[in-house]
Amino acid sequence: MSLTSLFLGILLLPWISGILLLLLLNKKNNVGAWFSTILSTVLLVLLAQFSWLQEKDLSLSFPWFSIGKQLFDLNFYIDSTSRAILLLVGLANFCVQVFSIKYMEKESNKTRYFIWVNLFVGSMIGLLVADQIWIFYGFWELVGASSYFIISFWHHKKSAIKAAKKAFLLNRIGDLALLIGLFLLSKHFGVNQFSQMQVSTFGLLGGISGFLLVLGATGKSAQFPLMSWLPDAMEGPTPASALIHAATMVTAGVFLAIKVFPLTSELTHLTYGIFGGISFLSASIFALFQSDIKKTLAYSTISQIGLMWMGLGSDASLFHLLTHGFFKAGLFLSAGAIIFYVHEQDKKHEIDAQDINNLGGLLRKIPVISISYIIFSLGLIGLPLSSGFYSKENLAGYLIEQSQNSSYANLYYFLVISLGIGVILSTIYTSRQVLLIFGGQQRSNLEFTKSNSPIYFQIPLILLAILSCGFLFSFNPIHLSTSKLIQFSGIELVESPTYWLVFSVFAWAIGLLLAFKFRAKIPAKNYQFIELFWPKLFKTGVRFASFLQSKFERTLDYFFDNLAKLQVIFAHLISWLDRWVVDGILVKGSSKISYIWGSVLSKWQSGKVQSYWAWLSITFGLFLLYFLL
Amino acid sequence: MTLPILSLIICIPLLAALVLASGKLKGYAQQISLGASLIQIGLLIKLALGYQTSTATFQWVEQHDWIHFSLGSLGQFVAKYHLGIDGLSFGLIILTGIISSIAIWNSDSIKEKTSSYFALIMLLNASLMGCFLAKDFLLFYLFFEFMLLPMYFLIGIWGGPRKEYASIKFFIYTLAGSLFILLALLALGTSYIDPYETALAIDFIQPGQAFSAENAQMIQTAIANGEIASDKWVHSFDAAVFADLKNCYYKSILHPDSAWVLGNLSAREWAFWLLFIGFGIKLPIVPFHTWLPDAHVEAPTPVSVLLAGVLLKIGAYGWLRFTLPFFPKEALEFSNILSGIGAISIIYGAFNALAMTDLKKLVAYSSISHMGFVLLGIASFTAEGWQGAIFQLISHGVLSSLLFLLVGVIYDRTHDRSIQNYSGLAQIMPAYTFITGLAFFASLGLPGFSGFIGEFFSLMGSFNSQHSSAIWAILGGLGIILGAGYFLWTFQKMFLGKQYLKNSEWLLSDLTRKEKLSLYFLGISSLLLGIFPSIIFNLTDNWVSHLINQLF
Repeated sequence: MSLTSLFLGILLLPWISGILLLLLLNKKNNVGAWFSTILSTVLLVLLAQFSWLQEKDLSLSFPWFSIGKQLFDLNFYIDSTSRAILLLVGLANFCVQVFSIKYMEKESNKTRYFIWVNLFVGSMIGLLVADQIWIFYGFWELVGASSYFIISFWHHKKSAIKAAKKAFLLNRIGDLALLIGLFLLSKHFGVNQFSQMQVSTFGLLGGISGFLLVLGATGKSAQFPLMSWLPDAMEGPTPASALIHAATMVTAGVFLAIKVFPLTSELTHLTYGIFGGISFLSASIFALFQSDIKKTLAYSTISQIGLMWMGLGSDASLFHLLTHGFFKAGLFLSAGAIIFYVHEQDKKHEIDAQDINNLGGLLRKIPVISISYIIFSLGLIGLPLSSGFYSKENLAGYLIEQSQNSSYANLYYFLVISLGIGVILSTIYTSRQVLLIFGGQQRSNLEFTKSNSPIYFQIPLILLAILSCGFLFSFNPIHLSTSKLIQFSGIELVESPTYWLVFSVFAWAIGLLLAFKFRAKIPAKNYQFIELFWPKLFKTGVRFASFLQSKFERTLDYFFDNLAKLQVIFAHLISWLDRWVVDGILVKGSSKISYIWGSVLSKWQSGKVQSYWAWLSITFGLFLLYFLL
Repeated sequence: MTLPILSLIICIPLLAALVLASGKLKGYAQQISLGASLIQIGLLIKLALGYQTSTATFQWVEQHDWIHFSLGSLGQFVAKYHLGIDGLSFGLIILTGIISSIAIWNSDSIKEKTSSYFALIMLLNASLMGCFLAKDFLLFYLFFEFMLLPMYFLIGIWGGPRKEYASIKFFIYTLAGSLFILLALLALGTSYIDPYETALAIDFIQPGQAFSAENAQMIQTAIANGEIASDKWVHSFDAAVFADLKNCYYKSILHPDSAWVLGNLSAREWAFWLLFIGFGIKLPIVPFHTWLPDAHVEAPTPVSVLLAGVLLKIGAYGWLRFTLPFFPKEALEFSNILSGIGAISIIYGAFNALAMTDLKKLVAYSSISHMGFVLLGIASFTAEGWQGAIFQLISHGVLSSLLFLLVGVIYDRTHDRSIQNYSGLAQIMPAYTFITGLAFFASLGLPGFSGFIGEFFSLMGSFNSQHSSAIWAILGGLGIILGAGYFLWTFQKMFLGKQYLKNSEWLLSDLTRKEKLSLYFLGISSLLLGIFPSIIFNLTDNWVSHLINQLF
């Protein structure tokens, strides 16, 4: 198969799969799930083959439409970055779908779930390969919409639909900023394709557009200030959260940062970094006080994406995006497996399966899941031998190197220090979670039995666990070295100084110690940034509109109503005039007058020729007199 | 002899109306009107097959003398029966044909006086078609005015509880708009001189003889130099005459050099505003919109479909066809204000929609918001803005029809449209929920549906415009957030969540086959237009570039 047809296959397969699933919508058995999973395997194979065959950047264009002289073609562009993320999407999609076969087995309308997953994957792939900025924007919005559908999957649950609406609205706010940013970007560069934008100067226009792009990305990536939708979004089915709200969708903002990295100035990069830094620190703190297993992971996702943003959109961001994608998807899937296990043990749903205070001692009950969870957690902390270690080292190295010859050195220092604090924080909350879930004894009153996890859970977890191991990224356990995977993704590595490694060791040690000491004492609190302007915006707007409606529109109606009434009064007046003045005085009066005249004059009509002659001569004489005198 | 297809398109519904009004075939009223409307669609297909997208000029032109009278020394007046289609009107007449037949198809809920109902629908269809087909401004005006009559009775007789109020309000507002247009029409008619007709009147050329641009120029200079006696001047209402400033008699108040000023505005500016507001009431623009929610709430479903789907478009059509070409400089001068009105319409409509508890009122206000994008696009004076505006007209025609039909589905079953009286409909009516979800997401501008393309290009045009401020584009952009707000809020309240009906006796059956047919048709049309926008853009592209070149 040629590269082009392979590409088209990859682009269209999820959509085709989604449309075909519509036909299976009313089937109650598992056929839809299997069908979708098989197609996701095909998609993964196609992606692998595509990556294997593609040697240099691929640029494709199909005619779409034009407006005046402006061409709107379907431009696609695939470089090593998008290729690597594409593979991540394909792998995560495969793992999640296999996992979902079992996890969603008992749902009556699970086919709908698979349709939404396919819709999401289709949009995400479109987003990753789009070169034409408006196609990029279109898929960007579609990604948000499919996230809405997934979150509201259990649509009879009020919390789920509220969360879905919130996610979509916050995303839309970001989308507006992105839209305006892209308008400016295309105005600044004069072209509509990312790949054809040539940088000469950044200028004011470029600066504003860069800032708007950052703001736009905060929505999709759940960063400060539009971060609060992601923890709520955990109302959706857990495997879908693994795919959408951990590995892929939320990294769209990072992808955007990577994409516009060469097109924007250093200050814009640092704006990304600062927004990321704020999110990184605050979300780490919020995660610390969470007792809900999924919400902790959601906050850790926000903070890790903040970390990617702190890579400013450079190769360091991409590196962490890839490693994080695997271990975070793994974490969510294992969390899903744990919830599934607890529900199975606790048939009557007596305890909240997501509350870590109800768990404990699970290591001996579900060993495969527990071990994989621990492996993923190591990645999250960034301990050596895990993939997270290398990407964090690389990121620290990049920031330290950049700070040395930049005029914004202070900002870089801020980022490096945030990174240091964040490492301690993430060590605390992650190890606390691991200790509470797997260590010690069962804390609830229920008796849990040892269970062999279903094969549908084991395959994806083991696959993701392997992908989260460090040796795939570097053979040297405590040092970065270029591996095949790194080469494939086109990442240039930056080594971090030795003092950073020393600091890291201290950070881990402090974190572990604190977690061990205070693991059961940290209170459960739902800290969040206050809901910012958006609910207020809606409420004030609605109030204002109702006010206007009641006052202004009524006044206007009143005015028109009175105008109409005035018209009626006027009409009555006219008709009165018509009856009495025109008809009464003029018409009837004139008829009367003419009657009188007539009766008077008729007397003159005596029928005598002589008198006629007399009158005629008198009149003629008068005329003559008038003219002569 | 070639068939006068455009005349047939107007005559067939008129004929059907006559047959229906005679009342002889009472039991078959719906079938007759549906048949007439299908024949009309057949004719439209014939037009489409022969239509050439490569030119911006009128096609299938039909021209006959109609009114000719002399005013002595004031000259002569000519009004022509002049029909034609071009890139602007073609999409709209197809929309009219399709939406009419869909409205007729969904008229089952009308049980009383069916033959007069369908006769009026046919009359409405004929006058709508006439509006879009007329090349002569007076002819257009007659069709435009005539539209009032069937609409007034359709709301006033078959409407809801406050039908009298709504119909008279509709009547007054629209009549006020027509008066504005009439004033402008008279001013234009008396100030402009038709060179072709004048040439005929002075026997400069013979009927049927070609009339070149040089000839026109000769006549124009001759008039300006006073070489042609004023009783030979021929005033016509041809839109093409008004579009050429050289036809304006130099002593008339509409001439740019005229010193006539009233309240800081010249006569031309006044005339522009008269036309703008006259058509704006129809669109409607804020603050002349209050007739719309009332009319929609009281009108029966198929009439609402026609009202939102086609009638509103005439406002924007009037701007693009008449207002802008007649007064390009004035329009450009005020483009910033126009954009502002557009942006305010978007936001005001959206906030009001958010505040509504009546589903139909919500959709009506969303219409106001969506039509604001049309004004925003038009006021940008860019190719993409105009294309977006025209696209938005068609897209909104499809989507608002879909939305009003959906409101009709629930109203037919329960006679209750309050959003808070329903919850969790997804569990009772899955197919209805599916298509409503699709319609809502299409309307809030999800990429892949037509709503996105229209809004996107209107915004893009407004943003790139050199004549209006980018702030209006940004404010208009807020409309897309608010749009998501009210649609999602409604969807959440009515369709998702726990199942609840205010009245437990309500029997809510899912969509019937008949309902599904039209709903899916409209939904798929929106999807097709969203994925292949070139269906519309190919039609309008030449027309828009031609107009842009003409104006600048």
